[in-house]
Amino acid sequence: MGRFVIRRLLQAIPVLLGTTFLIFAIVYALPGDPIQALAGERRVDPILAATLREQFHLNDPLIVRYGYYLRDIVSGNFGTTFRGLPVSTIFEGKFAVTLKLATTALLFEAVIGIGLGLWAALRRGRWEDKAILAFTLLLVSIPTLVSGFVLQLVLGVQLKTSLGIAFFPVAGVQDGIRSYLLPGFVLATVSIAYLTRLTRTSLMETLRADYVRTAVAKGMPRSRVLGRHALRNSLIPLVTYLGADLGALMGGAVITETIFNLPGIGQQLFTSVYLRENPVVVGIVTVLVLIYIVANLVVDLLYAVLDPRIRYE
Amino acid sequence: MRVTKGAQIVAGTALLALAVAACGGGGESSGTGSTAGAGGAAGAVRVEIAEPQHDLIPGNTTETSGAEVLNALFVGLVDYDAEKKPYNRVAESIESPDATTWTIKLKDGYKWHNGEPVVAQNFVDSWNYTANGANAQEGNYFFGSVKGYDEMNPGEGKTPTATTLAGLKVVDDKTFTVELKNPFSGFPTMLGYTAFYGLPKAAFESEGKLKADFGGNPVGNGPFKISKPWKRGTDQTISTVRNEEFMEGKAKIEAVDFKIYTDLNTAYNDLRAGNLDIMDQLPAEQIASAKQEFGERYIEQPSSGIGYIGFPIKSGADYAKNKDIRKAVSMAIDRKTITETVFSGTRVPADDFISPVVPGYRQGACGETCNYDPAKAKELFTSAGGPSMGAIELGYNADGGHKEWIEAVANNLRTNLGVEVTPKPVEKFATILDDLGAKKWQGAFRMAWIMDYPSPENYLRPQFGTGGSSNYSGFESKEFDDLVTQGDAAKTLDEGLPFYQKADDLVLEELPYIPVYFYQTNGAYSANVKNVKIDPFERIDLFNVEKA
Repeated sequence: MGRFVIRRLLQAIPVLLGTTFLIFAIVYALPGDPIQALAGERRVDPILAATLREQFHLNDPLIVRYGYYLRDIVSGNFGTTFRGLPVSTIFEGKFAVTLKLATTALLFEAVIGIGLGLWAALRRGRWEDKAILAFTLLLVSIPTLVSGFVLQLVLGVQLKTSLGIAFFPVAGVQDGIRSYLLPGFVLATVSIAYLTRLTRTSLMETLRADYVRTAVAKGMPRSRVLGRHALRNSLIPLVTYLGADLGALMGGAVITETIFNLPGIGQQLFTSVYLRENPVVVGIVTVLVLIYIVANLVVDLLYAVLDPRIRYE
Repeated sequence: MRVTKGAQIVAGTALLALAVAACGGGGESSGTGSTAGAGGAAGAVRVEIAEPQHDLIPGNTTETSGAEVLNALFVGLVDYDAEKKPYNRVAESIESPDATTWTIKLKDGYKWHNGEPVVAQNFVDSWNYTANGANAQEGNYFFGSVKGYDEMNPGEGKTPTATTLAGLKVVDDKTFTVELKNPFSGFPTMLGYTAFYGLPKAAFESEGKLKADFGGNPVGNGPFKISKPWKRGTDQTISTVRNEEFMEGKAKIEAVDFKIYTDLNTAYNDLRAGNLDIMDQLPAEQIASAKQEFGERYIEQPSSGIGYIGFPIKSGADYAKNKDIRKAVSMAIDRKTITETVFSGTRVPADDFISPVVPGYRQGACGETCNYDPAKAKELFTSAGGPSMGAIELGYNADGGHKEWIEAVANNLRTNLGVEVTPKPVEKFATILDDLGAKKWQGAFRMAWIMDYPSPENYLRPQFGTGGSSNYSGFESKEFDDLVTQGDAAKTLDEGLPFYQKADDLVLEELPYIPVYFYQTNGAYSANVKNVKIDPFERIDLFNVEKA
């Protein structure tokens, strides 16, 4: 298993090189001069522009610039923005915010999604099942942009102004864990729906399997049949989904973080793309790729825990 | 001056540009988990800002968020009253016999937050620092009118021959003199802006070198002082407390927290929920409901920006060169409908080249030229030979939220003049400016101006003067130049006004630009506070804000 992990980590190196080069090439291919962007609509001072171009190697060919960037990354240095702020300063605390948000969302997803899925599978074909399916359809069809603003207005603003209940903050991270409840839920909505349906299908399939029928036939208690045999075997696709979703949640938090003014990397990514702060964009994407790789590795390792037949050599 | 407010970076230096507005992107945004629970002092008045683009250094701050914070920490030589006229604040007197050499005397009693007295040298040091091209300060260009600026900023490829402004001289602790390159009676109007604040001795590490941490923990001379050093890019709140030793008396509120938002709608929801106290800009789509919801606590007042349609009148297409066509185009634009519907009332129809926020504005100065009169417009257009001159091109930058109003203007022209109109989006505004500079741009273009200082001169010379820093239309008139110079040379601003207004009339007659709309400030405040006033630079007068 140790060798498996090492092999996977080595495989990650070309992936990382490829993705960073792609994103590097893409952000610098964007139309518009990043140095000009510093001055807004005013024309940038030519002396300042020349100095900055020199400093950021903007006059060199793309591949040379990428070389400089890699050299810095290897020494743990993400560079500085065109406005003179170290990229690592910008990262400080921001990944923590996004990670908290993504974890909250993942918890909502796992608890509500798997819970509803189980219930639907056990009540298959009855009204509960149909109601849950309708509910998931509703969740999928509301974009987070809408659910975010509506929940913010109803639970954040109106609950406070009409009933005086200020449990859900409107925006910001100043209220600790409570700050993450609404945005976490909003971020999780679409995934909750998918996970519910995935759990339902997966569990129904397992419930029809021979070994489950055998277990029931030999008189095993229902709770044990469900918990130990059926559920555990249905978990593999769910864990795959959750693992891949962690990366998606972190990268996809742009809208949610903007609506709720959470100072995370999603919000940062948006403003940085807008302001042509290419070093920040490349830096964030690099770290996100790393997170994807690690999350996938953990998922692969979890397979072995869930299904003893799977072994990594 | 550049404006960034709520998720927007507006624009330009003496400049053009309002605009990228509403699009988002307020700088390296907000704060971090580490600020959780650290919302500043209890009972602090909470003010919305976007993230300042730079550290809190007066000379490097030309956008409104940073200026908002610095306005609480510093007081300038002058400030502006309700009529937008300057009155002395730190200055005891600002006088000149010839509008060229100005003697500035300071009042006794102002102190920096660290206890140093405010002396003349503080202003000279600060201005020299900002005017030094090597320091790359954004407010550098404000000192262009002072003698010695050219030696410090000789232009590309040349070596500066001075590191201080030759025009600045300290007479004694309370007096210094400023020599300008040319007479300018409006000079005192410039002195209230952020770039003209002084800096204490403690700000400098050595002569001409600012301490590295000053911008995060600035020492000012204003009614509030910073209570916790601010880390740009990380902290989401800038916390200040009342300066108990402030010379003019204590502010009425104990503390102010500036909260950084990237989205105006989010901030607005916080305002409605009572988690925020003052916003001096509201999301456009909420204006109508804000009027209802906030009633007396809703603020609407003119701001300094003007939006135009401009023409290259010397080097452009046939229609751009023809004065009557330009007038016909102006009369065919339905300004009222555009400002009310496209801009949801955040703009008002323009009727002068001088903004209503500065002295010298005359309501309706533009006369029938700016009145919507489709019949007359069509008649004028036809008699001037417009129909045979081909399609009118309307250039605009696609990144600034201009598409809607440009399309509306295009539709006005199509319907009212029967002419073909091609709106032409360009990636960045600078592209249009470059093409105009190179005389390659043929068609009409959008343009905007926001003032650097509240003087009518600032709306005229840079844009329409011969060789003006932002003269993109190619308008040239000796008579105009002379009138502005006479206005500058008048003893007082008031005596100069008639000259500026005559110069204004010349531009209105020739119409190189068509004034379309004036920008407005739309703000609101919570029931927690009262007596909220916003100045022409869109800064809140926090010294006089009270708890309700």
